[in-house]
Amino acid sequence: MSRPGPAQIGHFDPDTIRRGAIACLPLLPSTIIFGAVLGVLASQRGLSLGELLFMSLTVFAGSAQFVSVDLWRETIPAATIIIATAVINMRYILIGASLRPVFRGRPLWVKICGMHMVADENWAVTMTQPNLANPGFLLGGGIFLGVVWATGNIAGYLLGGGIPDPEVYALDFAFTAVFAALTIGMWKGKVDLLPWVAAAIGSIIGHYTLPGTWSILAGAGAGVVTAALTWRPDMDDDSLEAEFAVEGRDAYGAPEGTVNTGKTATFSPEAGK
Amino acid sequence: MTQFPDLTTFSLEAVLTILGMAAVTYGMRLGGLLMADRLPQHGRWAHVLERLPGAVLISVWVPSALSAGAIGIAGAAATVVTMALARNLFAAMAVGMVLVAVGRYFIGT
Repeated sequence: MSRPGPAQIGHFDPDTIRRGAIACLPLLPSTIIFGAVLGVLASQRGLSLGELLFMSLTVFAGSAQFVSVDLWRETIPAATIIIATAVINMRYILIGASLRPVFRGRPLWVKICGMHMVADENWAVTMTQPNLANPGFLLGGGIFLGVVWATGNIAGYLLGGGIPDPEVYALDFAFTAVFAALTIGMWKGKVDLLPWVAAAIGSIIGHYTLPGTWSILAGAGAGVVTAALTWRPDMDDDSLEAEFAVEGRDAYGAPEGTVNTGKTATFSPEAGK
Repeated sequence: MTQFPDLTTFSLEAVLTILGMAAVTYGMRLGGLLMADRLPQHGRWAHVLERLPGAVLISVWVPSALSAGAIGIAGAAATVVTMALARNLFAAMAVGMVLVAVGRYFIGT
């Protein structure tokens, strides 16, 4: 009660969902165009529009969908497609793991409902929000991107061509640009330096030596190993994890649905530290 | 495959394939989070987990900048510098995308 601001944000607060959607607005043009390109490809490969939309809303992962639709034939190579999807989307294990602070103290059902609409874009936007990182914010971005993605699919499928070439307007570069820009917002201090350099080097080496999206895993793996090796016990005090634990009530709302009291601090497990 | 546009056909194989894709993808999304929940909140693993989002993000865009060639590398550098100076996502994206679009128009890729 004593603190102003987003002290009592629920699990999926409508206002937070709206903010999450607005935060993904810069991605609208590229998402709709690439959705349309996928729609054109799907119509050529013999998927029905219904099947494509079903895929877009249940799988909801752009690069894996492009590869899968490209592999699609009249006799569907189901095993090949599912394995390719698993390999391309393996980064979501790491993305899911990194969302721990966003879901801190939330019940299991919130995690189950909140983890479906997680794409690279709304994940990155959410992770760089200092005060809004909340399951609702993440979900809002996901719903927005899902609607835009499906709208693009429909437009591309029905038009069947005549879609502007994304490369002419550098719309393909929008994804690179948004991730590059958001990296700045993830900087937490010089402890990040070595793991980030390792991730960059690992992904560059992976890019030239490995097929497909393995470079993401090579870079992330290099970053993780470097982070583990550079850890020292005295790093714990100024770690963000400690900050999240203290600020968690504030920034991410009260845990376990106890959103309606002003005395969260008194029974906070971290209060005694 | 000549029946166009085919809006509402749902073949069983297609639905099962898509459900398989969805299951592995969602399983990895939720599984990653639930595994992380089991890791300690302090110490080495917590430190590694905090470095993870930056490492993943860098590993996503650095290879795609390389794939876009010299103009892609220049565009990514311009985006990072603009973001560091202006702290504005729209401005940073605009600078990078305009640079790449103009570069492709005049120089090619």
